[in-house]
Amino acid sequence: MFDLPPPAIFLQLSLNGALGGAMYGVAAVGLSLIFGTMRLIFLAQGAMIILAAYFVRALFQSFGIDPFLSLVIVVPVGLAAGWLIYQGLFRKAAAEEDRNISLLIAVGLMFLAENLMTVVWGGNTAGVVTSYTASGIHILGIRTSFTRTMGFLIALAGTGLVMLFLRKTLVGKAVRAASEDMTAASLMGISPHRVNAIAFAIGIALAGAAGVAVATTFPFNPFAGFIFSLKALVALALGGIGSVAGALAGGIILGLIEAYVQFFVGGSWTNAVAYGVFLAVLMFKPEGLFGRPYKKA
Amino acid sequence: MANRLLEVTDLEVAYGDVRALWGVSIHVDAGTVVAIVGANGAGKTTMLRAISGLVPVQGGTVTLGGAPLAGLAPEAIARLGIAHVPEGRGLFRQMTVLENLELGAFQPKARRNMRQALEKAYALFPRLKERAGQKAGSLSGGEQQMLAIARATMSDPKLLILDEPSIGLSPLVVQQMFSLIETLHKQGVTILLVEQNIHQALKIADYGFVLKTGEIAMQGTGAELIADPEIQKAYMGVLEL
Amino acid sequence: MRWTYWMWGVLAVALALLPLWPGAVDSYAFSFLFFVFVYAILAQAWNLIAGFGGQISLGSHAFFGLGAYATAILWSGNYLWGSLYDSHPRIYYFDPVTMALSGLVAAVAAALVGLPLLSKLRGDYFALGTLGFGEIVKVLFINGGTFTGGAFGIVAPASTFETLLPHYWTGLGLTVAVAVGMRLLMRSRYGLALIAVRDDEMAASANGIDTLKVKIAAFAGSAFISGVAGSLFTYYLFHVGPDSVFDLNWMLLPLMMTVVGGTGTVMGPIVGAFIMYAVFDAARILVPDYHPVVSGVAIILAMLFLPKGLTRLSFGLPGLMRRG
Repeated sequence: MFDLPPPAIFLQLSLNGALGGAMYGVAAVGLSLIFGTMRLIFLAQGAMIILAAYFVRALFQSFGIDPFLSLVIVVPVGLAAGWLIYQGLFRKAAAEEDRNISLLIAVGLMFLAENLMTVVWGGNTAGVVTSYTASGIHILGIRTSFTRTMGFLIALAGTGLVMLFLRKTLVGKAVRAASEDMTAASLMGISPHRVNAIAFAIGIALAGAAGVAVATTFPFNPFAGFIFSLKALVALALGGIGSVAGALAGGIILGLIEAYVQFFVGGSWTNAVAYGVFLAVLMFKPEGLFGRPYKKA
Repeated sequence: MANRLLEVTDLEVAYGDVRALWGVSIHVDAGTVVAIVGANGAGKTTMLRAISGLVPVQGGTVTLGGAPLAGLAPEAIARLGIAHVPEGRGLFRQMTVLENLELGAFQPKARRNMRQALEKAYALFPRLKERAGQKAGSLSGGEQQMLAIARATMSDPKLLILDEPSIGLSPLVVQQMFSLIETLHKQGVTILLVEQNIHQALKIADYGFVLKTGEIAMQGTGAELIADPEIQKAYMGVLEL
Repeated sequence: MRWTYWMWGVLAVALALLPLWPGAVDSYAFSFLFFVFVYAILAQAWNLIAGFGGQISLGSHAFFGLGAYATAILWSGNYLWGSLYDSHPRIYYFDPVTMALSGLVAAVAAALVGLPLLSKLRGDYFALGTLGFGEIVKVLFINGGTFTGGAFGIVAPASTFETLLPHYWTGLGLTVAVAVGMRLLMRSRYGLALIAVRDDEMAASANGIDTLKVKIAAFAGSAFISGVAGSLFTYYLFHVGPDSVFDLNWMLLPLMMTVVGGTGTVMGPIVGAFIMYAVFDAARILVPDYHPVVSGVAIILAMLFLPKGLTRLSFGLPGLMRRG
C-alpha cells in the first residue's frame, strides 16, 4: 500500500480537485437544464465551452479585453446564441417523439463546432496567458492558483444565479415545472418551446462562463470539449439528474475523485475510476448521491 | 343556444390504427356542469385530451365561445380559457403547493390577478394554505386532488375540465370532492366532468352524455339519465345492489 | 412486393461480380464500397438494439473495438493455429474461426454488462450507462500492459496486403448475411418479442415475454455483429490502438447512418451507410480542409429535413423496408 501523505498535501489535493471540479459542475448545470426540459443529452456542451474559450482568447489577443472582464460580453452572447441554437436547430426536433434526432443534431453541432475551430484557429493547443496566469493566492494557508480560484467563483456565481432564477421567478418555476411534467406544464399555458429555449439560452450562457474559466486555467484544443461533456455527464449523475445545486456538487466531487486517483493510483486510471463511479451511481443511486429516492408519479 | 360555451362536433380520434372516437358531438353551456359518463375504455379521457389539444384530432371541430381550437397546441388552448385537470392530476410533485398554485396562474392574463386568485383558492381550500410550503408530492391523495383543482381555478378559466376527480379517493373524500364541484358550480364556473362514479356525477350535473365504445349512446339532463332504466341496469346496477 | 427482394439480390450479385470489371479493383469506388460495408454492418448492429429493441446504446464502439482487439490479439499471439501458422502464415486472414471468436468476445462482454445495465437502467439512463461503459473499456485497454499493447496497441504480424479483393468480398458477404439474418430474425418469434418489448414493455411482460432476456440477447447479438465488423477492420488496418478502434465515431457514425436510412427497418442501415459515407467522402475529396465541417452540417440537415429516415419516404420501395 501507499504511505499516507502529510495533511498539507492532502489539503492541497482536495483544494485543487474541488476548484477544478467546479468547472465540470458548471458544465453539468447547463446539461441538467437542457436535459430537464428536453430530455436531451446535449453532447455538444463541451464543444460550446471550448468555443467560448477560443472566443475569450480572441477578445484578449485582438482587443486586449481581460478574460475575466469578457464575462460581460460572453454571457449575453451565450444567452442569445443558446436561444438561436434552439430555435434554429432543435425546435423542430423537439416536437418529434424520436429523441435520437435531437441527440444527432447535438452530435452534428459538436462536429461542426470542433472543426470550425480547427479551421479558424488551427488544431494546436492554445491558451490565454495574462500577467496573473502564474500568480497564486493563499487560502487557509494553502497556496493555490489565482485563475483556478476565479474559475471556482465564476462557477459558484453562475450556479447561484441559475438557482435564484429557477426558485424565485415565475418563468424559472415554469422551467422547473416543465422539467417535471411537460404535458401538465403545457396545460398551465406554458409553452414547451419557450422553456426549451430558455433552458438552452442559460445552458449556453453557462458554457460561456465555463469557457472563461477554462481559457484562463487550462491549455485547450478544438477537440477537448467532448471529454468535458462526458465529465459533465458524470457530475450530473453524481449530483442527481435534475438538481442544479447537485450538478455543481457532483462536479466538485468528480474533481476530488480525479485529484485523489491521480495522486494515489496514477493519472491513466482517473477516467476509468470516474466512469466506474458514474456507472455505479446510475445503477445503485440513480437519484444521485444527495437525492432521496422518490416514486415517479 | 344562447350560452353555448363549448361545442364539439363529429370529433374523431385515432391512435395509430386504433380508432378511439367515432364522430362524437357534445356541448357545454356556460355556467353548467356537464358530465360524460361511461365504462372504462369508452373514450372519455381521449375526448378531454382531444379538446385540450393533447392528442391530435382526425376529424370534426371543437370551438370555445365560437373560436375554433382544432390544431392549436395545448398551451394555446389553455390560454384561451380551458383549464384541464388531467388523469393522474398532473401535479408538479417536486414543487411546493404554493408554487403549483402560482403556475396555475402562469398565463399573462391570470398573472396580474395572482394575489386575488390565491386568496380565493385559499378561502375555498383552507388546507392548502396550511400546506403552502410543502411539496405537492407529500400531500395525501385527497389533498393532491384539491390542489389540482385549486391550481386549475387560479387562471379563472372559462371552462374547467375534470378527468376522474374521484379516482383513488376514500368515500368520505369523494363526497367532499363532489360538494366542492357543486360549490364551484354555484360560483359560476363552467365544468366538464368525466367520471366513473356515474351516480354521483349525474346527480350534480345539469346535463350528461353517455359514451360507449367511442360513440355517444345517450344524452339528457342529469335527472333524466339517472332515471333511465337502461342506464340503471347497465351502469349503476352493480353499485346499487 | 416480391420484386424488391429480386432487386436487392441483383444488386448484391452485381456488387459481387464488380471486381471482374477491368480496373475496378484498383479504383476508388472499390475501397469506398469496402468502407460502406463496414459501416453498414455496424449500423445494422446498432439498429438491432436501438431500432428494433428500443434501447439506445451509446457504447457500441466498445464492441467494435473489442472485436478488433480480439482478432489482433489472437493473431499476434497465434493462440489458435499453433504450428499450422508457421507453414501457412496467412491462415489468419479472414479466418472464420477468428472472426467468429472476435464477435463472441464482444457478445460475451455485452451479456456480462448487459445483465446489470439492462435490468437496472431504462431509457436515457441506459444510454448514459453504455456511454460510460465504452469509456471504461477504452481505459482498460490503454492500461492493459503487454496483453493489449497499452496506449500504442497491437500490430498484426502481417502488415500489408496486395489487393483489397478479399476485404471487399468478405465485407459484402457479411453485409448480405447480416441483412438476411436481420430479415429472418425480425420475422421470427424472437424478433416479434423484441418489437413487443420496444413498443410496450409492460404489455410484453404481461404476455409472458421475459423482457430482460430478450433485451440482453439483442444487446449481445448487436455486440456480436459489431465485433465481427471490428475483426474485419483489423484485417484492413493491421494496427489496432485504443484511440483508433475505440473512437467514438465508430458509434456515432453508424448511429447517424441508421437514423438517416430509417431506424427500425432492415434496409435502412445499409441505405444510410451508403449515402452518408458518400457525403462524407465527397466532402473529404472536394473540400479536404473543411470536410468535417461539411459532415457536421450534413448530419444537422439530414436530421432537420429527414427525421424519419430515407427508407420511410414513399419511393415505392416497401416490402423489405417496412418497419418490423
